Amino acid sequence: STLPAVAEELLREIKKAFQETSQVPDDLLLGLKFIFGPSAVPALDLVDQRSVTRVRAPSGRILYQVLGSSGKLYTCYSSCHFCTCPAFGFSVLQKSESLLCKHILAVYLSQAMGACQELAVSEEQLTNILLAEEEEEG
Amino acid sequence: LCRGGLAERLCRLQNRERSAISFWRHQCISDDKIPSDKSGVLIVKILEIFEECTIQVAICQQLEQSPATLSPEDAVINAEEPILKVLFTRETAAHLKSRPQDVIHIYPPWQKLLLQNADVPVIMNTYFSQKVLLSEHSEARERTYGLTKMLIRKNIISLAQTFRLDDLDDKLHQESSDNQVPHALQTPNKGDSKHHASALSAVNDSLLEMVERQGAVGWREVQVRVVIQRVYCLPAREGYRSHTQGNKPLCATPVANSDPPNVRLCLLVQDAYGMFSEVQLQSLSSTDDIEQYCRRWEGKSCCLAGMKILQRTTRGRSLGLFSLIDSLWPPVVPVKVPGQSQDSEMMTTNLPPPSFCYILTVQSGEIHVEVDEEEQISNLYQPPAVHDLKEILRIDGCNKRCSFWAQVLYRRLQSKQGVPVDQREMLLFVTDSTLQNAVHGIPKVVAVSVTASCVLSVEIIEALSAGSRLVFFKDALWGNGRIICVERTVLLLQKPLLCSAAGADLSELTGPVRLDELDSTTQASSVCALRGTVVGVNESTAFSWPTCNRCGNGKLELCPQDRELLYCIQCSEVVTTPVLKMQLEVFLRCPSRAQSTVKVKVWHEISVALFVLLTVLLFLQTYEVQSVLGKEVGLLNCYVHSVTSHPNCVALEEIVLL
Repeated sequence: STLPAVAEELLREIKKAFQETSQVPDDLLLGLKFIFGPSAVPALDLVDQRSVTRVRAPSGRILYQVLGSSGKLYTCYSSCHFCTCPAFGFSVLQKSESLLCKHILAVYLSQAMGACQELAVSEEQLTNILLAEEEEEG
Repeated sequence: LCRGGLAERLCRLQNRERSAISFWRHQCISDDKIPSDKSGVLIVKILEIFEECTIQVAICQQLEQSPATLSPEDAVINAEEPILKVLFTRETAAHLKSRPQDVIHIYPPWQKLLLQNADVPVIMNTYFSQKVLLSEHSEARERTYGLTKMLIRKNIISLAQTFRLDDLDDKLHQESSDNQVPHALQTPNKGDSKHHASALSAVNDSLLEMVERQGAVGWREVQVRVVIQRVYCLPAREGYRSHTQGNKPLCATPVANSDPPNVRLCLLVQDAYGMFSEVQLQSLSSTDDIEQYCRRWEGKSCCLAGMKILQRTTRGRSLGLFSLIDSLWPPVVPVKVPGQSQDSEMMTTNLPPPSFCYILTVQSGEIHVEVDEEEQISNLYQPPAVHDLKEILRIDGCNKRCSFWAQVLYRRLQSKQGVPVDQREMLLFVTDSTLQNAVHGIPKVVAVSVTASCVLSVEIIEALSAGSRLVFFKDALWGNGRIICVERTVLLLQKPLLCSAAGADLSELTGPVRLDELDSTTQASSVCALRGTVVGVNESTAFSWPTCNRCGNGKLELCPQDRELLYCIQCSEVVTTPVLKMQLEVFLRCPSRAQSTVKVKVWHEISVALFVLLTVLLFLQTYEVQSVLGKEVGLLNCYVHSVTSHPNCVALEEIVLL
């Protein structure tokens, strides 16, 4: 498959540019738009608002929590592309129309630009975050 | 959107781009010719198209110049021309309607992206793209194409493929398990080193805890102390599976192969909380040892370690296993209650019967079952409750395990082609003193069905074919008025060490065995005795044949070397003294069942009384039916083949009791 490699390279370029110039050039932003379509602007907005938190447990286990526009907190996994938002379930899983949802893209962009908030929790708290998602859906 | 933020900036850029695109497209249509400005235009020829998410990926060949200037002969794919991967958005792709072999002009601003570890450059931002038609011919073709929809392969992207933004990992990200979040409870794999007894952790008394710790750190070292309630063999082919049909007694299908039976030694164990588990151990080469294992191991405690869970089964799925568990419920001593501190008043026998059971097996290689043979029998052990046959026939309910002593009178093999003797199903007709001395209304002899899933030791099989033996049936199944031996039933010749004989009369039978007489209640597949008068002879059924005196094989052949001699294939030897068998069907009138026609197949060897006369007559072929008619036939022991009502007929075969 081609698209993931392209997306990854694009994000790397953004990271490199940001590291060098503290800025993201226009063409890379347009590239984001080209590849990720309608998710691009909302994802950047989430980055602007510092909505992404990296949650880390002592074992080294990580997950990401993104504060959505509605005020809802969504959880994104770090080991695979997964987000608890409905758009992910629809566009990515069901329709295979997008690579990512805006939250996962925001996670990557926040990583690239060093815009993640950091939160350290206990092993149990991290487990509870994951379990809480299950209960909500169930 | 945040003022001055990235999102706002992209919004502005996007709006500008959108207007540029629509302006350009408008211009193309109105001008109706290829724009002359050639600088920066990418000319590509599409080779292959596929889709990923909503992006269309086109593998293209970059052309140096517009193919309009080339003659058709030159428009052949030149392997030297560079290959590109051109991406189009859904909207652009819909506009272009491109197909392989189409030529596309891509106008700036397009972007080129070079991927790491990939030779083929990627072209993005291809909004300003236009298809070039080479001739009028293609225009017409274009119109037809426009009507038909082309099917494009869509690649599904794996979610396991994440993006690595760090430069430190130069390698392309790998898919799946390498990216797994490290499990907090897992320790780095130390390899499957042999662990010694000293490395084993303290002994546990809960099977459930051991099961729950599977996969966690140190689970191999967990030891559980349990009591062995039962030892038996299971046919390895079926193992823990059982064919259940509602409440009918079990009858597993026979293992129909000629290889030596593959049996596994199994233990039914119980822990201090009353929970059961079936542990499947090694395969036994000769099934002789089962009696030894029963005697040495039943009732003793043992330590299990390093077990692997084969299955978690429930009552509904394993009726056979649970009928055995039910026979051991409730526990004879109070058991611990999980979660409570173990004061003596917390322990209880008042628990509901188990609804699930784990089936465990040993890890390949070592067997971690240490049975303390020297120790005393555990308090938790429940030996089989022995009853006499009269009591068993009175048991209420279905699928109940029962144990009894019985004298085997007659064995009938259910013949199935090609199945070895020791794997065939058989019917055993048994009795004990309680049945023999019983009053009217209780049968004198009971049929016990032995299915192929009931593993029989070589000793037992020999004993059953030799002579009348007293056999102990441990954990047979009673249901629907029948006793059957299924998996987990064990037939033993010797008395088990510990047995609660609830008033069972284990004495040998006094006097000759008596069978029930043939009457109106006699059913097929039973045995009975009869007496009557010969009223007819079925001459067409009379014949004689030689049989092997060693094995009884009735299909002897002529010896290839000397065609005067007979040869037995089963013994692979010449038969020097064949036994002559003769049979004949006679019709009797039996006063005990006067209204039926009684047809009895009588054999030469056995029925000396009647047959002496007939033998001579048949042999000489000068007999007259008249002389046989009216002869009294007294108390033949027979096996009932069939009983039909229309016509009212009973077909029997004379038998000899063991």
